[in-house]
Order: sequence, then C-alpha cells, then structure tokens
Amino acid sequence: MDYKRDIPLAITFLVGIIAIGDYYTGIEAVTQTFNVIKNWGIVLQGFALGLGAVNLLRVHGKRISERRGGTDWYFSAWLLLMLAVHIILGLVTGRYEQGETYSWLYNAIYLPLGSTMYSSLAFYMAYGAYKVLRARNFDAALLFITAVLVIIGNTPMFPAIYPGFFHMREWIFGPIVSGAYRGVRIGIGIGAVVLGIKTLIGMETGYLGRR
Amino acid sequence: MSIWEKLTELPREIVMTLVLLSIIVPALNPLGLPLMTGQMSQDWYDTVDALPADSVVLFDIGYGSGGYPSLGPGNIAAFHQMFNKDLKIVIMATALEGTLMYPLVMAGVNPESNYGAVYGEDYVFIGYVAGTQTAMAGVLGDLHDLVTNDYLGNPISGMSILDDVAGADDFDLVAYVTTSGDIAEGWVYQAYSQYNCDVIGGTLSMMTTSIKPYYDSGQLLGIMDGIKGAADLEFLTGHPGDAIVSSDILTFSQALVLIFIAVGNISFFMTRKGGGN
Repeated sequence: MDYKRDIPLAITFLVGIIAIGDYYTGIEAVTQTFNVIKNWGIVLQGFALGLGAVNLLRVHGKRISERRGGTDWYFSAWLLLMLAVHIILGLVTGRYEQGETYSWLYNAIYLPLGSTMYSSLAFYMAYGAYKVLRARNFDAALLFITAVLVIIGNTPMFPAIYPGFFHMREWIFGPIVSGAYRGVRIGIGIGAVVLGIKTLIGMETGYLGRR
Repeated sequence: MSIWEKLTELPREIVMTLVLLSIIVPALNPLGLPLMTGQMSQDWYDTVDALPADSVVLFDIGYGSGGYPSLGPGNIAAFHQMFNKDLKIVIMATALEGTLMYPLVMAGVNPESNYGAVYGEDYVFIGYVAGTQTAMAGVLGDLHDLVTNDYLGNPISGMSILDDVAGADDFDLVAYVTTSGDIAEGWVYQAYSQYNCDVIGGTLSMMTTSIKPYYDSGQLLGIMDGIKGAADLEFLTGHPGDAIVSSDILTFSQALVLIFIAVGNISFFMTRKGGGN
C-alpha cells in the first residue's frame, strides 16, 4: 500500500462524497459536516498565503545571494525591502484597521501604481486596434466590422445620440458572443464533471503533485 | 514614401500621445456629454430598488488597486443606493486588497453622516475571507461558524445586523464587484446554483462578455459593466462622481480609436491601390 498516494485519495473521495451529499440530499448532518470541511479549506488557504510569503523570501533571497542576471537582483532586494516595510508598519501601526502611515504607503504609492498598470493598457489597445483592425481579407473584415460596431456601441455618447448603436452592440453580445461562450462553458462544464468523477474515483491524481 | 504609406505606419509615439491627449483634455474639462443608460445597469438598479427596507445584502469587494479606477466609482454608487434604501449590508472581501478598498469606498459613501447608518446595525465588514469559491461557500453555508469577529476585531455575535443572518437563506441579495473571472463566475455557482439566491455582479468591461451568458439566462439579475456601468449607476442613483467624468474620457478616447482604425484602413487600401505592399 502506498500511503502517500492512498491516504490523500481516500480523503479526496470522502470529501467529494460529502460535498455531493450536501448538494443532493440536504440532510442537516451532511450539510453541517460539509460546512466544517469548507471552513477547514478556508483556514488552509489562509496558511497558503503565509507559505507564499515564505516562498517569495526563498526565491528572491536566492536571487540576491547569487546576483545573477545583471541588475535584476536590485528588483528582488527592493521587493523584499518593501515586503518587510509593509509587514512591520502593518503590525506596528495598526492591529485591525490600517494605521495612517500604512494607509499613506498604500494610497500614495501602491494604489496609483496598480491603477497605472491597468490604465496603460489603453495605450497599447489603441495602438493595437490601429495596427491590427484592417480588413485585409474576409476573416479580418468580419473582425473589423464587429470590433467597430462594439466600440461604437460601447462609447457612451454614440448610443445616446442614436440608440440603435447600443442595440447593435447588444445583438453582437447576445446571439453571437453569448451563444458561442455558452457552448464553450458547456464544454468546460462537461469536462469539469468528468474531471471531478475521475478525481473522486482516483483516476486523476495530478493534484497530488509531481510524483 | 507617399502620404498613404506614412499613414499606414504611424509611429507608436504619435498614436499614444494623441490617446494621452484624448484622456487628459476631457479629464481637465469635463463636458458632460450625454450617455444612455444600459439595460444591464438598469437591471442592477431595479433589482436593488425592488428590495424592501431592512433586506440583507451580501456584498463582496473582489478587486484591488488595479480595478479601483474602473470599479470603485460603481461600488460607491451601489452603496449609495443601498444605504438610501435602508438595506442592511454585510460586506466581505474575496480579494486580498479588498480590505484596503473598503475604507476608500466608505470615504466616498460616508454612510453615517449621509444616511444615519450605524456600523453593526446597518452594515458590517467581515474582512477578507481566503479561498475564493470556498470562501463564498463558507459564508453562504454558515456565516457564524466561519466568522467570529468582524474586520475590526469586534465579535459579530452581538451585532444586530447579523442576529438573524445565518447563511444563504437569510441574504435577500448577493452583490459583487470584481476584476477576477473566478470570483465573477464563482458567485453564480455558489450563490445561485447552490442556494438559488438573487445575484448581481459588477466587472471590468472586458469581462462582461464572459459573464453575460449568466445574465441572459437569469442567473445574474444585473451587471455593472465597468466604468460605463458605473456611470449609469451614478446617474440612476443621482450621485454623479468619477465614473460620469470618466465617460467623457471614454467617449473621447474611443472616438479617437475609431478614427485611428479608419485612418489605418483607408491608408491601407489606398497604398494597396497604388501598388504598395
């Protein structure tokens, strides 16, 4: 008997059966048991965050000590410094609510940086639209027409002037996009059911890690 | 090189500089351009509006700093509507940074001074719950079993807002605002499919296509579609803010993109007609 394999498989099977039992039977005892299991899962995920921080220290600590890859290690050092600053400030200046210094660090540095990362997409998308959306052939023409109609329908002022633009976008989003996406989702759903069954009966063991 | 060939290959710097101008000019001088309220936003508004006073809403802040410019204004407008209707709001975060978004949003809503709301009676923030879909299932399964203290460390057992709230059956509505596809679809799976809860969701515009099938099938009762949806909600709730200003920016920048697309295509065909590559 391979305990390292069989015990996790048995736990998975048991938890899976309880989850299915909770969904289909509604028996109070099963529901309560599943609630406990869900809470365990949440606690474990909390620990995973700590594990992530440790892993970050390990990976970047190694990069700093080896100082390979040109000046990349400067970024690793900066990352670890900021990690330490945020942890220390968080713990020292506030227990539950963020202290003023911590809030300032977040609101004045991280928040604008995070927003900028997303916002910079606008420039690349505009340039990408200019370069790519050209009706070079029939397929590209279809993409071009669809994209233009969606952009027009999505631009706040145009549907306000002529509501037809909005309905055109809605039609593209409805029968075309939703229809196609529903097919994709149904495919994924069937795949998930098959994967779930295979996991439950021990045929799928990828989640146990590399063996 | 002909003019058409030059227009086919406009340098990136020129395109991006013009995009920058199309953002800065309306940001500095908002014009208040007209906008048409979308059906998805209207449905979000109507769903909340139909709830009687004292109904309990579970609200998930599922975004961080990256999503704040797009989703923060909509979140603020949504809270304005909910507090104005005297709804009870149980706020949680399935995104790590959600706990840092909460004070920013609340600073924009100011429920105590604007609506006379009392923390612990009219709203509560239970903080970040790890695990995404496991977190959703946990909160909907047995809230008191999962969470004993709120985000500020106060025991939730003494809070009147949570006295009669045990799990999914006690929430009249589940609402979320998120940048994550897993969170957006997760609430449909965990709240609607499992417990048949009413669910409304707010996402980035680029995610709307992936959650719209759930709206079409009635699993999502309303969608706040990015900054445009947020502007709609600000308009509907009568609390104009950053999103309505942003809709001017959106109009300018997207109109410019359309111009670029037109220039790119016209120059492409003219070049081809002239025998170019």
